[in-house]
Amino acid sequence: MMPVIAAVVRAASAFDRWVREPVDPRPLAWFRSWFGFLTLVNLWMLWPDMPLWLSNDGVLPPEVHRQTVYGAGLTVYLLTGYADAAIWVIRLLALVGGLGLWLGIWPRCAACCAWLAATSYSWRNLLILHSGDCLVRIGCFFLMFARTDGAASLPRWLGRRTEAGDRPPPAEVPAWPQRILQLQLCILYFVTGVWKATGATWRDGTAVGMVLQLGEFQRFPIPDFCMTPPASRLFTYGTLAFELGFPLLVWVPRLRLPVLAAGLAFHAGLDWTLNVQLFQWLITSYYILFLATPATGSRDPIQGRS
Amino acid sequence: MRSRMTRRHERQGDASSGVVTWMRVHWPTLLVALYAVAAVSWTLPPEVFPPKPILDRVAGGPLLFLGLWQSWDMFSPDPRTDDICVEVVSVERDGRRRAWMLTDMVALDYVDRWRKDRWRKYCNDHLRLDANRHLWQPFAASCVRRLRAEGHDPVRIELVRWWRPCDPAVRPELRADVRRTPWSSYTFFAVPVAQETPR
Repeated sequence: MMPVIAAVVRAASAFDRWVREPVDPRPLAWFRSWFGFLTLVNLWMLWPDMPLWLSNDGVLPPEVHRQTVYGAGLTVYLLTGYADAAIWVIRLLALVGGLGLWLGIWPRCAACCAWLAATSYSWRNLLILHSGDCLVRIGCFFLMFARTDGAASLPRWLGRRTEAGDRPPPAEVPAWPQRILQLQLCILYFVTGVWKATGATWRDGTAVGMVLQLGEFQRFPIPDFCMTPPASRLFTYGTLAFELGFPLLVWVPRLRLPVLAAGLAFHAGLDWTLNVQLFQWLITSYYILFLATPATGSRDPIQGRS
Repeated sequence: MRSRMTRRHERQGDASSGVVTWMRVHWPTLLVALYAVAAVSWTLPPEVFPPKPILDRVAGGPLLFLGLWQSWDMFSPDPRTDDICVEVVSVERDGRRRAWMLTDMVALDYVDRWRKDRWRKYCNDHLRLDANRHLWQPFAASCVRRLRAEGHDPVRIELVRWWRPCDPAVRPELRADVRRTPWSSYTFFAVPVAQETPR
């Protein structure tokens, strides 16, 4: 019994160190910048249809919306009520937030704006959301608590241009926002793998062949060999293996880069084949959080001090 | 007696200040751990995670309120086995019928099918279902408004669902853009349009 307790205590202590030891800010800052750009693309795609999806004259007037909604959320609608002006508030918040995140201008305020915009349109119309919207909301929320202005930041870049000499590398920052987002990605893969493993078509190897027949998801043309039973089995079991394997293997330092490379190839293939808007781009943006910054030699984004 | 009580109070005070100190130092760890448990519980299927009902009851409020709710169950437990489209049919005052296939994504160009993915989500995943009949009237009304804005004069709106089954076999000729499987259709909602009140 005692060795078990000792092992648990050691694991808890290691987890505590992993969460609390400060880290190089650059992976988080790069993530913030690329993620911010993606939120702008998301806004660009949502913008023209916003009156249809979100206004009182749209597909969900207030009395119908009340039947679909999950309760009160922290959204701009708490202030505006069911006013169509909220659409412009959401647009403005998303635009300011996305630009701020992308360029590193007041990134915490920007994350707050982008998060509020995302929770607001998500609350007003749940029925248009895809998994990418979850990643936007969650990413923005935890970026509110992250110090990410130490790199990939326009103000910093402008400051560097006017200053003579080399600037020191950015100071280390609290790790927990990065840790929570890293764990979020692992939870995503683990859960989606478990869900799939419960399905008969995923277990018999026909699931991907079925998906490739669905016109609603079809994007670019694919080679004929992808639509054969052996390829379907390969892709189906490969998907399961990747999704269930990623949350474990990405923590092994030697395997991390191959796992991330495999993930990029996996999502690039999905993005080519399936039409699911920005999901593949958003999920791979979280990969940046796992990148090491060997140039500083200070800390590994996963292992702590190297 | 008095000094014993004082010592007990001091010990309790030490313990509570110890907890406060521990929390001050370790709150990020606690937060990360609790969030991970809450997110896993919220997203896993109930049959594989028995404590889900209890944990979700505790964590659900904050997750929903803060917009941190999530679901990762695309194409699972099994992908859909029918190809689906939703169509809007407008009958004009002069008797002409106009039809728009809203979510025939294969018929759209590459940019449009990317940008209009939320249409697919709304129509194919929600609007077409009988369980969501409360969505039909407002959707038809928004179609009427849009048609009138474009100069049409609809007297009746019909919402039609189209479907065709996927084949359990996997062959190149079964890809959606070349497949010849016949479609079935059903008009799931039809509503006469009230004449516009002259202003």
